[in-house]
Amino acid sequence: MLSKSQARAFFFGGTGIFSVAFIALTIDSMRKLPNQTNSDNITEEVKRGKHIWEDNNCMGCHTLFGEGAYYAPELTKVVERRGKDWIRLFLKDPAAMFPGQRKMVQYHFKPEQIEDTIAFLDWCGKVDSNGFPAKPPLAQRLAATTPIAPAVLLPKPVPAIFTTAACIGCHSIAGEGGAAGALIGAPPLDGVSTRKTREEATAWIRDPQKIKPDTKMPDLVPAVVSEEQLTEIVNYLYSPATPQPVTPPKP
Amino acid sequence: MKFKSQKVAYWFFASALLLLVLQILYGIIMGFARVGMEGLHEWIPFNTARATHTNLLVVWLLCGFMGSAYFIIPEESDNELYSPKLAYIQLISLLLVGVTAIVCYHLNIWEGRKFLEIPRPLDYLVVVNVLMFIYNIAMTMWRGKRNTTTSLVLFMGLFCAALLYLPGMIHFDNQTTDSFYRWWVVHLWVEGVWELIMGGILCFLLIKLTGVDREVVEKWLYIIVGLTFVSGILGTGHHYYYIGVPKYWLIVGGIFSALEPLAFLGMAMYALAMAKKGGRRHPNRIALTWTLGCAIMSFVGAGFLGMAHTLPQINMYTHGTLITAMHGHLAFWGAYAMIVLAMMAYALPLLTGRKLWDTGMANWAFWTSNIGMVGMTGALAVAGITQVNLERRMGMDFLVVQKEIEMHFIGMLLAAGLFTIGITCFIITFFRHGKPTDEAIGNDPAENPTYNVS
Ligand code: HEC
Ligand code: HEC
Ligand code: HEM
Ligand code: HEM
Ligand SMILES: [Fe+2]
Repeated sequence: MLSKSQARAFFFGGTGIFSVAFIALTIDSMRKLPNQTNSDNITEEVKRGKHIWEDNNCMGCHTLFGEGAYYAPELTKVVERRGKDWIRLFLKDPAAMFPGQRKMVQYHFKPEQIEDTIAFLDWCGKVDSNGFPAKPPLAQRLAATTPIAPAVLLPKPVPAIFTTAACIGCHSIAGEGGAAGALIGAPPLDGVSTRKTREEATAWIRDPQKIKPDTKMPDLVPAVVSEEQLTEIVNYLYSPATPQPVTPPKP
Repeated sequence: MKFKSQKVAYWFFASALLLLVLQILYGIIMGFARVGMEGLHEWIPFNTARATHTNLLVVWLLCGFMGSAYFIIPEESDNELYSPKLAYIQLISLLLVGVTAIVCYHLNIWEGRKFLEIPRPLDYLVVVNVLMFIYNIAMTMWRGKRNTTTSLVLFMGLFCAALLYLPGMIHFDNQTTDSFYRWWVVHLWVEGVWELIMGGILCFLLIKLTGVDREVVEKWLYIIVGLTFVSGILGTGHHYYYIGVPKYWLIVGGIFSALEPLAFLGMAMYALAMAKKGGRRHPNRIALTWTLGCAIMSFVGAGFLGMAHTLPQINMYTHGTLITAMHGHLAFWGAYAMIVLAMMAYALPLLTGRKLWDTGMANWAFWTSNIGMVGMTGALAVAGITQVNLERRMGMDFLVVQKEIEMHFIGMLLAAGLFTIGITCFIITFFRHGKPTDEAIGNDPAENPTYNVS
């Protein structure tokens, strides 16, 4: 059996050896880290964004690289997932985008602060984080077992305006997006031509509150969507390839 | 109690319990926010409640460790504490810094890094405070008549904890580097040097409560803390999998962190074996219950539940989910909260001279708090597994999944109620002991051979 002095030697020896190994790996990691994290791209904007992130303790609700709190979405890939325009709109007034949901703090950021925050999150999203967050492994299998009849889907590619104007954050279009929509009842836009006339849809998008004062869809025209873009949107939703109304449209 | 100056421990323990009550309060605020009751959002948003909850946890544990050291070190080195006055100054300043930090969190002033939220200027005050503490302890040992392994291990733990606080204070513009060194504080504390503190206190309690030969206990202490460092230092890698550092951390971190439970298993087996082997029947049964409870629950919370998500293949999906919160609760409770409460249960009758050991209330405190905490862990586990499967594996939206698992937080709050009852019983027992008094000197049953049955 081990004697006390042998036990002591095990403690001090083991601690010494593994501390040295740890320091050696740390030095190596520090050498490789600038390349893996694209540290050349840490602009003044990104630095300011990091300060905003820390000064407001965003980590007290969100995770970043999986570190932080579990109350709000993981943000490492948020720029890729939502797009910059959507985040811009969201950060201006978080509650408007997710009415009645779990609360984020309204920070009343200035536009340049929003840009800095987005630059920081964008930089984070491009760090090589060894594959985190992983693509959901079961999502594809799930999709394969619950097919959506292709006839009701809008044609691809979906015009960029649907992403830049944030529609895709709430509505699913051509089988994409719509993550937030399930909570607030935003329907997929694929079938809209079977439910509304072209004119109704145009009027709706132009000012949803006018038609339904308590609706959770924000008023996007003309703040984010110009009249020309509105036409582009409606043209796409009602292009010849879209599903046709089953019942004749209301007068 | 052998020395007058050990009485300072009482005030550290009492302050620790006060902070624990506040911690629980903020935990309950978060619990309610998670079931959709966010009435306090304007004043105490979730991030404020969370920073307050976790920082209070760390501060009350440190307060408890300091109290334990002020009790143990004079006794082990057979010598009055170097300066009780310094100890009181240190306690008051620690509390002031803590309260200031918490007020700051309510005003959106912080450093915004998990567990190290405390604003930078206050960091320096913490360092000064801890230096005062280390100085006081070191001088006591220096002047002592003897130096035991127990006090040496305890001292090394406290000293390294102070040292490792420093890397957390460096500023980096790169989020990855920032995170890398943040773990030198957080991980190397709880899975490194704090285990030395825990081991030291555990060892002291076992020697006193079971009467097993000091040489045997201390030899095992060396082996166990040796295992801690052999596995725990490179085990830091389990936090480096996905933050933007090289892939070899997946292998290094995976292998060494998988060995970490061995230290906790060792701790549990050794405590149980000593309790069985010891010939002494110390009348303070409840202190022994807490001591053995700590050894077992730390294995369950840190060792077993840590192992559950430490392999990189699993951690890829559980990283930053409620699974982590599940493990965090039981690990902190089992390893560190319970060792501090065990120390309190042991020291109080000796400090005050009132032998309230083994009362009904004291037993209730042990069982309800533990059952409550296991219940909370269970609720978090079910919520966490569901979250991992729906969000991380099936790709459902975060908020949709959170709605799905809301019910489990009602369960968690119910268990938290039970837990709170347990802590209330503990606090009532604590204050029923009254104040510490010099008349209690020399009343330690561990020094009294009539209690020895063999
Ligand atoms: C009090 C908790 C809280 C704090 C603090 C907080 N958030 Fe949020 N955040 C949320 C919640 C909850 C959501 C989910 C949407 C909602 O309900 O508003 C969210 C959503 C987001 C989203 C959209 C994510 C997505 O995938 O839809 C971004 C981007 C974001 N927050 C950025 C930030 C930034 C940047 C900060 C710090 C300046 C911050 N948040 C601070 C709670 C918080
Ligand atoms: C914040 C989320 C949100 C965003 C962003 C959003 N919508 Fe909506 N939208 C809704 C909701 C919710 C409804 C359902 C309205 C109701 O019944 O109250 C809706 C309804 C609609 C409808 C009617 C659908 C039907 O079948 O009746 C159309 C068309 C529509 N939105 C188009 C758009 C377009 C185009 C955009 C982008 C320019 C957009 N929406 C952006 C939330 C959103
Ligand atoms: C008493 C000892 C321990 C305590 C108090 C403790 C506590 C914690 C806490 C609070 C976290 C969350 C940290 C954060 O995200 O900032 C954490 C994370 C973690 N712990 Fe422990 N832990 C202990 C021991 C262990 C052990 C022994 C293991 C492994 C076997 C382990 C494995 C992990 C892992 C893998 C994570 C990362 C979770 C994630 O990816 O989100 N822990 N621990
Ligand atoms: C009694 C009631 C308690 C309740 C209701 C409660 C609730 C919570 C909640 C909701 C969180 C935040 C999780 C998230 O980010 O979503 C949290 C975090 C935490 N709590 Fe508690 N808690 C309680 C008691 C305790 C106790 C007694 C301890 C320690 C012994 C503790 C240790 C922690 C830790 C370490 C974290 C951080 C976990 C992590 O980051 O992974 N809590 N708690
Ligand atoms: Fe760790």
